[in-house]
Amino acid sequence: MNFKFRHKRITGILAVVPAREQSFVEDMKHFNFPIARSLKLKEVMGYDKHRIVEPGVCVSDLAVAGLEHLFKNDLLHPDEFDALILITQSPDYFMPPTSNVIQGRLNLKHDLLCLDINQGCAGFIIGLMQAFSLLEQESIRKVVLINADVLSRKTSPKDRNSYPLIGDAAAITVVERDPEDTVIHANLKMDGTRNNVLMIPAGGFRLPSSPATAVLEDVGDNNLRAKDHLRMDGSAVFNFVQIEVPRMINELLKYAGATLNEIDYFFCHQPNRFMLQKLADKMQLPYSKMPSNVVERFGNSSGVTIPVTITSNLRDRLMHEQFKVCLAGYGVGLTWSAMLLDLGKVKFNTIIEYK
Amino acid sequence: MNKPEFYQRLAEILDVDELQPESVLRDFDEWDSLAVLSVLALADSKYGVTIRAEEIRSVVTAADLADLVEAKQK
Repeated sequence: MNFKFRHKRITGILAVVPAREQSFVEDMKHFNFPIARSLKLKEVMGYDKHRIVEPGVCVSDLAVAGLEHLFKNDLLHPDEFDALILITQSPDYFMPPTSNVIQGRLNLKHDLLCLDINQGCAGFIIGLMQAFSLLEQESIRKVVLINADVLSRKTSPKDRNSYPLIGDAAAITVVERDPEDTVIHANLKMDGTRNNVLMIPAGGFRLPSSPATAVLEDVGDNNLRAKDHLRMDGSAVFNFVQIEVPRMINELLKYAGATLNEIDYFFCHQPNRFMLQKLADKMQLPYSKMPSNVVERFGNSSGVTIPVTITSNLRDRLMHEQFKVCLAGYGVGLTWSAMLLDLGKVKFNTIIEYK
Repeated sequence: MNKPEFYQRLAEILDVDELQPESVLRDFDEWDSLAVLSVLALADSKYGVTIRAEEIRSVVTAADLADLVEAKQK
């Protein structure tokens, strides 16, 4: 389905990554797998370094650190935003909402709409759509969108399918009204029949965590994981992305009356370099237009990868220049979504480390 | 489908110099989830067909795999 938003823009992006950097060579020691094959995996998928939180670090810790950085550096004032949206799959608690935890820790005002949304790899685009909709209210001047996940804590170090690519991160995006008559187009699709392709089976109310759900099981190819761990059907995800994403982007371009050539960058969710290069091949795009370097530098942090791709690839350039960009997120749900917008002349676009 | 070309591409995925149609895939050390994913990508990019991982895992020889891809093209 198609969406259209007017008079809205992104005015700043801050990414927060854990200072702790783990290397694939370290990870390999935990795999029950020939070293040569692990190195092949590294080469093909583009695994190298990923950022992982220290034990016990939660989503609200990363989010609070990011907001404090913005407040301290006069990039955002605590009283100038009226909604705080948190997109996460790894909340601090089942209840209360983690957005309220963040509000409380920072003593933010009571006239503030706090909202948790459970979304994954398409979570940046879904969050932007929510932010744009909220900005239709006169009382909402700015929206702070936070994407954050610490899924390394739910990933088995003995699972070669998921662990080498997982990363933790948060991103804070400020969204506000644009006096210019800008138009942003988006497309979104969901398929709940494939909800089991990416999931953490245990820990919710259907299958509460117990000693039994913590037992590591051999799930084939000498990969070990428990029901408490994240699991991903990698080949199903691969096929899903190669089939649905080019189709969706074409549909979006048609709806927006735009062509592939006029897009400066495709900032896509970052599952791994392999999948992104295959996607670029299929869409006949040069790799330079579709950055795929986030997994090797930071890891796949689910809904946070798109803002991390933007901050790490454009840095200060985004403060002075403007680009026509296409965002695309795809994953858990299954959900796939794309957005076409002008991005640039922002107040900040940077990455900080969480220590 | 150009079969010799397909076997050559499969040989590259399995890190061997050449491959016979009757070669049994699971006899190769390299026949793992990464190889399966590489075959999915090959089928998609060079032959324009989508194969599911389960379908690949059920084939025995290189020739079976070639037949699977070819059948999907029709």
